[in-house]
Amino acid sequence: MSKAKDALMDPLFNNNPIALQILGICSALAVTNKMSTALTMSIAVILVIACSNAAVSAIRNHIPNSVRIIVQMTIIATLVIIVDQMLKAYAYEMSKQLSVYVGLIITNCIVMGRAEAYAMKNPVYESLMDGIGNGLGYSLILLMVGFVRELFGSGSFFGLTILNPVNNGGWYVTNGLMLLAPSAFFLIGFIIWALRTWKPELQE
Amino acid sequence: MSNDSILKTFLVTFLLCLVCSVLVCLAALVRIDREAYNQLLETRSTVLAAGGYADELDEGASEEELFSNFEMKMVNIDTGEFTSDINAEEFNPKDARDNPDMLVDIPAASDAAGIKQRLKYARVFVDKTNGQVVLPINGPGMWGPMFAYIGVQDDGTTVNGLKFYQQSETPGLGDKIAKPGFSNQWVGKKLYNDSGSLALEIVKNGKYDPNADDAKHTIDGLAGATVTGDKAQAIVEYWFSDHGYGKFLANYTKSKE
Repeated sequence: MSKAKDALMDPLFNNNPIALQILGICSALAVTNKMSTALTMSIAVILVIACSNAAVSAIRNHIPNSVRIIVQMTIIATLVIIVDQMLKAYAYEMSKQLSVYVGLIITNCIVMGRAEAYAMKNPVYESLMDGIGNGLGYSLILLMVGFVRELFGSGSFFGLTILNPVNNGGWYVTNGLMLLAPSAFFLIGFIIWALRTWKPELQE
Repeated sequence: MSNDSILKTFLVTFLLCLVCSVLVCLAALVRIDREAYNQLLETRSTVLAAGGYADELDEGASEEELFSNFEMKMVNIDTGEFTSDINAEEFNPKDARDNPDMLVDIPAASDAAGIKQRLKYARVFVDKTNGQVVLPINGPGMWGPMFAYIGVQDDGTTVNGLKFYQQSETPGLGDKIAKPGFSNQWVGKKLYNDSGSLALEIVKNGKYDPNADDAKHTIDGLAGATVTGDKAQAIVEYWFSDHGYGKFLANYTKSKE
C-alpha cells in the first residue's frame, strides 16, 4: 500500500486514536449521548484535524523549532474558532447542545499529537490523509458509542423512536446510566477489548 | 536565513498571527451576520413552547404557521398599557438593555430577585386564537442571567407554559430548568390565589403533592438545585408583582371580559 493510503487507513483499526492511543476521551464521553451531537462533533474534528495537519505540513520547513508548539496551537485554535463560529451561524440549536465541546477541540490531544508527530515530518498530501484518517478513527468510535447510548438510553436513533420508551406510552424501560458519562467509559472499554481480541498484535 | 534565528522566529510568528486573525475575523463576521436570523428562530420556538404549543410541534406542525397566530405588541410596563411609541418589529431587547434611556431601576423593596434594572417596555406576543399573552421575563440565576417566556391565559392567572431559553445553571442539576420535565409542570398552574395575591411557589424536590389544596400554585423544584429554584421563583414573583406585569395583566383581563 502507498504511504498516503496507509496514513488514511491505519488509524481506523490498527492505530485508532481512541481505542489504542486512548486520546480524546473527554469529548468522547461528553458528546455521545445522542447520534446527532456525536456526528456533528465527528465532522468538526475531521475538518479541524485534516486542515491543521495540512497547514502545519505546508509550513513545516519554516517553523522555528523553539516556537513550534505554539505555532501549531495557533493554527489549531484558528481552525477551531472558525468551525465553532460556523456552527453558531448555521446550526445554532446544535451549537447550543454541543456548548463548550467544540471549543475544546483545541485541547484534543489527537489534533495536537498528529501535528507534532506526523505533519511536522511529512509532505502535505500524506499529512492531509493522516489527518482525515485519524479524524475518521475518532469518529468511528464516537458514532459506535453514540449509537449504543442513544438506542438504550433514549430508545431512539437520530431522534427517531426505535424502542418505544415507557414514559412515552411504550414498553421499553430506558437505561438512565447510558445517558450519563460513565457509560461511555464502559462502552469504550468493551470496544478496546473487542478490537484487541480481533487483532491480537495490538495487545501490549 | 536559519529557521532558528531571532529574526525568522519573529517573522514567522508575526505572519502566522496576521493570517490567523484575519481568518478568525471573517468567521466572526459571518456569525454576526446570521445572528438576527438565529435569534428570530429562537424567539419563535421559545414563544411557541411558552404558549403551550409543544404538543402541536411534536406532531410536526410548522413553527412558522403556528407563530403567525401571534401578534407582536409593545407594552409600557409602568402604565400597564399597550403602546405604539415603539415599533415592535424594530425593537431589539438586547440592544435596548444597553441603552440607559430604556431602563428603569427597580426599587430595592420590590427587588428580592436582585434584578436591579428592567426595560421600560416589553415586547409581548398576543395569541389571536385564544387571547393568551406570552411575556418575556428575566433575572439572575445562580451563575448568570436567565431569560424566559411565560404564557398567561386571558384570565390573567393561568399559565400556559414557561420556557427558559438562556441560562447558565449548573450542568446536570440546575440546567434542568430549561428542560421539558420542569417546564411542563407549569402548564395550568395559577399565578394568583382567589384573593388576588401572588401564590405561585417552587417547593423543594419531592415536596410537591398533586392532591394538596394548593397544588395548582405549586411547582416541584429540581433535585440538587435549590438555589436555581429559589431564583426562578423570585424572578416570577417580581415580574407578576405590581412593579412588573401586575398592572398590565389587570388591564388586559379587564379588556377581555
